Amino acid sequence: MPKSFAIIYVLGGLIAAAIIAMCVFFIVKSVKRAKVIGMDSKKIKETIKNSAIFSIVPSIPIVIGVGIMMQYLGLAIPWIRLTVIGALQYELIAMDQAQTALNEMGGAYTTETMVATAVVIMTLSIMSGPIFNAIFYKKYQGKLADLQEKNSRLMNTITGALLGGLLAGMLSAILVGGAFTVGNPPEPDASGVITYGEVTLITLAASVVIMALCGVILKVFKQKWIESYALPITILGSLAIAYACVPLFA
Amino acid sequence: MRKFLKEKTAEQAIQTREQYNLQMHTLGRVFTWLAVGLILLVPIFYCISAKTLPSGMAIVKSLPFLLGYVAIGLIEAFSYAPLLGTSGQYMSFITGNISNLKLPCAINSQNIAKVEKGSEEQEIVTSISIAVSTIVTTVIILIGLIPLIIFQQQIVDLLNPISPYVIPAIFGGLTIVLIAQYYKIAAIPFIACIAICAIGNAIGFGSTLNQSTMVIVGMVISGISTTILYKKNKI
Repeated sequence: MPKSFAIIYVLGGLIAAAIIAMCVFFIVKSVKRAKVIGMDSKKIKETIKNSAIFSIVPSIPIVIGVGIMMQYLGLAIPWIRLTVIGALQYELIAMDQAQTALNEMGGAYTTETMVATAVVIMTLSIMSGPIFNAIFYKKYQGKLADLQEKNSRLMNTITGALLGGLLAGMLSAILVGGAFTVGNPPEPDASGVITYGEVTLITLAASVVIMALCGVILKVFKQKWIESYALPITILGSLAIAYACVPLFA
Repeated sequence: MRKFLKEKTAEQAIQTREQYNLQMHTLGRVFTWLAVGLILLVPIFYCISAKTLPSGMAIVKSLPFLLGYVAIGLIEAFSYAPLLGTSGQYMSFITGNISNLKLPCAINSQNIAKVEKGSEEQEIVTSISIAVSTIVTTVIILIGLIPLIIFQQQIVDLLNPISPYVIPAIFGGLTIVLIAQYYKIAAIPFIACIAICAIGNAIGFGSTLNQSTMVIVGMVISGISTTILYKKNKI
């Protein structure tokens, strides 16, 4: 495993602290604003609780991502990369790109040169989103707000279209990607994992069924408490089923 | 008189919302530049500490890859903006994991809180939701570092096999929650995306048409089809 330098850990600590400070600032501002507009404080408390519970399970693969990347980049860099904008699949591709480019050039290179090249490529490739926000987003958001004020029906249609598109794109990729790899698993990905189509489809179906059951418990049996826990229960339940199914198809 | 006062109060509320929004932009910009600065320091400090330089030639060779990612970043910033709200947009693009964590988390909170679309309550719930989600993830990664140092291989071996199934686990349930609201809008892009994915997989481009790519494709198709339906007054 490549060496991680103390200064990089310090930098990682600063970044994590800055991110937590930013979030606390936004929470405080939002809560104050909620009071000004007379929003029910129960809704705020529920939002905080639900978001915290929801985020636990999807955060675990990010920790695993650090574990996968650390064998190539040391511990400190993957920790920083996955705490900020990076996502595992992007980072692995960026790292692979650096390695491929170095290999194509021939000649020997040190692990430090590979890590430095990979980190530069990773850093440059993810900067466009935040820089767009810092320079142009205020103006762009102003136009969106104008539209909301002048024609709220159109604005709601646009947000609906984006959300509908997100669902359509994601579901189609899961369904078709899963169906095409049933009985014919693809090569392991950059992290060494094989995604089995059967398990993908079973997990999706299990998620649908568990959420539907939660809906029945909520509507038919009038168990209001389940509303806050329905999605975390669904995610955990379907992942447990996926965990049980992977050995069957491996 | 009462009507006048009502209008005046409404006007003040709009102004206050604008002021609040401006504050969010200022805060968001400050934190974005701070994060960009700190992120840029990582390769610089690594090179100084390791007494090495990145390979300039390898970076030049990677330019097409870099430009592709720059374009994806811009498209994402542009298309996620109406869904994430002002502060949510700034936070999400500093911390990432938008489609697999931040956005589903915000949608879940909006549904439970039953906030009206486009309302200030929706903006507040989204903002709090993304902020809390970010704190939880940052803390979990931080806590996860300790067992990772000791049991790296065992943890990876144990949990990595189910990593690809987290997104189906989230989106199956989320679809059930949202289908009643969005089936009219999502039907056409869904059919089109299924067709694109099926053709792509059949001719060997399956790995290119992954979840990240298809989200962008779905949003573009949905934008076009919904505009047509809107103009025809069908939605």
